Amino acid sequence: MDYTNFFLMKEELSLIGVMLILLVYDIFSGEKGKRHFQTLALGLLGLHTAVNCLPREAFDAFGGMYSYKPVMTAVKTILSAATIIVLMQVNNWLKDEERRNKQGEYIYLTLSTLLGMYFMISSGNFLLFVIGLEMASIPMAALVAFDKYRQTSAEAAAKYIFSAAFASAISLFGISLIYGSTGTLYFDDLAGSITGSPLQVMAFVFFAAGLFFKISLVPFHLWTADVYEGAPTTVTAYLSVVSKGAAVFVLFSLLTKVFGALMEEWQFILYALVLLSITVGNLFALRQKNMKRFLAFSSISQAGYIVLAVLAGTPQGLTALIYYVLVYACSNLAVFGVVSIIEQRSGKTDIADYNGLYKTNPRLSVAMMLALFSLGGIPFFAGFFSKFFVFMAAAEQGFYVLIFIALLNTVISLYYYLIVVKAMFVKDNERPIETIRSDRPAQIALALCMFGVLCLGILSVVYEGIGQLAL
Amino acid sequence: MDSSSLFLVVLLTGITLVVAGLGMAILISPRSFNLQKTESYECGLPTKGSSWMQFKVGYYLYAILYLMFDVEAIFLFPWSTVVRDLGLAGLFSIAFFIGVLALGLAYAWKKGVLKWM
Amino acid sequence: MYELIINFLEGPVPMEAYLIVSSIMFFAGIYGFIARKNLMMMLISIELMLNAADLNFAVFNRYLYPEQPEGMFFTLFGIAIAACETAVAIAIIINIYRNLQDVDVEELNQLKG
Repeated sequence: MDYTNFFLMKEELSLIGVMLILLVYDIFSGEKGKRHFQTLALGLLGLHTAVNCLPREAFDAFGGMYSYKPVMTAVKTILSAATIIVLMQVNNWLKDEERRNKQGEYIYLTLSTLLGMYFMISSGNFLLFVIGLEMASIPMAALVAFDKYRQTSAEAAAKYIFSAAFASAISLFGISLIYGSTGTLYFDDLAGSITGSPLQVMAFVFFAAGLFFKISLVPFHLWTADVYEGAPTTVTAYLSVVSKGAAVFVLFSLLTKVFGALMEEWQFILYALVLLSITVGNLFALRQKNMKRFLAFSSISQAGYIVLAVLAGTPQGLTALIYYVLVYACSNLAVFGVVSIIEQRSGKTDIADYNGLYKTNPRLSVAMMLALFSLGGIPFFAGFFSKFFVFMAAAEQGFYVLIFIALLNTVISLYYYLIVVKAMFVKDNERPIETIRSDRPAQIALALCMFGVLCLGILSVVYEGIGQLAL
Repeated sequence: MDSSSLFLVVLLTGITLVVAGLGMAILISPRSFNLQKTESYECGLPTKGSSWMQFKVGYYLYAILYLMFDVEAIFLFPWSTVVRDLGLAGLFSIAFFIGVLALGLAYAWKKGVLKWM
Repeated sequence: MYELIINFLEGPVPMEAYLIVSSIMFFAGIYGFIARKNLMMMLISIELMLNAADLNFAVFNRYLYPEQPEGMFFTLFGIAIAACETAVAIAIIINIYRNLQDVDVEELNQLKG
């Protein structure tokens, strides 16, 4: 065996290094050192992102077990940048009396899910893929259960781990059938051996259920709203952006690379799922009273739009997908940033509590408004361009009816995003949320997200850059 | 003797021995009855209360830590079959693997999980 | 009759026999996951499903593709993954038990809407 292969997986190695340094620091530092723990974590993670942000030549390592393509650098950089923003938002929340002793756990668990996603993205074999998938979902359950003494947190965690384990068991059974019918687990070899026999179609459906669960497309979405509501808000932000983004990218590369022979089948399945996700997500979002549940259903319908890019299945679709994930990360993290600041200071999470927010907290309200406009796809915000590119990619493959329905749904989604905006700006409230002074890291995080929401659409160089890598 | 009749012989011998042993015991053993015989045997000490009592749930942490090193063993077995071919590099790989697990144990120790409650 | 039994006992076990066992395990697991109300029983059902997949890997490897031990590797990692899942799930169940004094799924009804 060639041990130099280990040094080829630079991203994973440096992330493991960051985790080990933090773990050792946390074990051996005293009370005094604990105060700088978060700064250290943010600094190391920032360094890790900066070191690994330049794409390299494509290569395979460990006989095809691990495979790297330049476009993966783009995805991994987006995911680690989003993780940094989440960790900035979490800064103040972790300094609470009750959580100060557990800040280390929060950070390793987050980083180990990130590591799992890295492995999942770069896997060239189902074994590494499954390990990555599980590494990304098991620590996630622990994160959801982070508020140990709050019953809703534990309940959400139970719902998450049971649905995740059920989905991954079905997925594993599907992979075992694929192995039985082809005799290999390497993606490169599988591409040639999958012929589209009935057993393989069934195996594919079993396998794909596990991924659909992670993206929370509609028949597999039942856990989403409960988990989003019960989990700590920053964990919800992470779950809705990073976890989803990684899973969608993997879905794209698996479907086009491994299951290319089953194209007709998966296009049919995805067509139905996109249609259901966009529509059902929107209709349920309309009737939500709780902000986090509302965002859960909004994220289900957003997932539908992202998967529309998967349906296209072309390099252009891949570019649109990554661009959509980037824009979605900026807008959604901004919304969750505001929600989590307000929840930390006032404990309020209902939409009705946001009435009259503009009078007391003008800056937070404007930030929230811009982010919601971007999520809704109002022209000249980044969200408009990301939706536009997805529709373009799908139109090239001829999915006109689906695009028409998706456009209709965009109008519905505008309606409910505007309800929140109206609550903040127009409605009066006898007891509005008092004026909040947020902490510095959360402000910086929000400013970064705002920059993304306003500038990503105008800076065409971003889209073109991703397009170059995706070819 | 071919293997099928050998199998039958072994089977019959087994059954005969068990039946004969148990039957003899039933036939010739003296019988007496006292109340102590119906009690469950627990290291010779008389048992107290019902066996459906609850025990301290805190011990599950030890169980989970045990599970960590228990499952580690399934990776040690395949490693042990090829350890000669791998040489020193194999030793370092497995040492790194165990080291990471030990770091987890050290972390739990530091957090006070191993304190006897 | 005698011949039949001896042949069955002496001959190799057909692969289908194992596959039948693993399918029964898998669908029993799905049934248990849906029908049971106790979180522990649901966890056991999930284990049954995971073990069915592991059994499949081992059997396919042994019978169809014995050149490379790929399926066996997958089984080993599958066992490790199942153990991790169980550890986290049990920790969460115990947390719920501490709050509710019960592990019935019907009690998990605070989040809805």
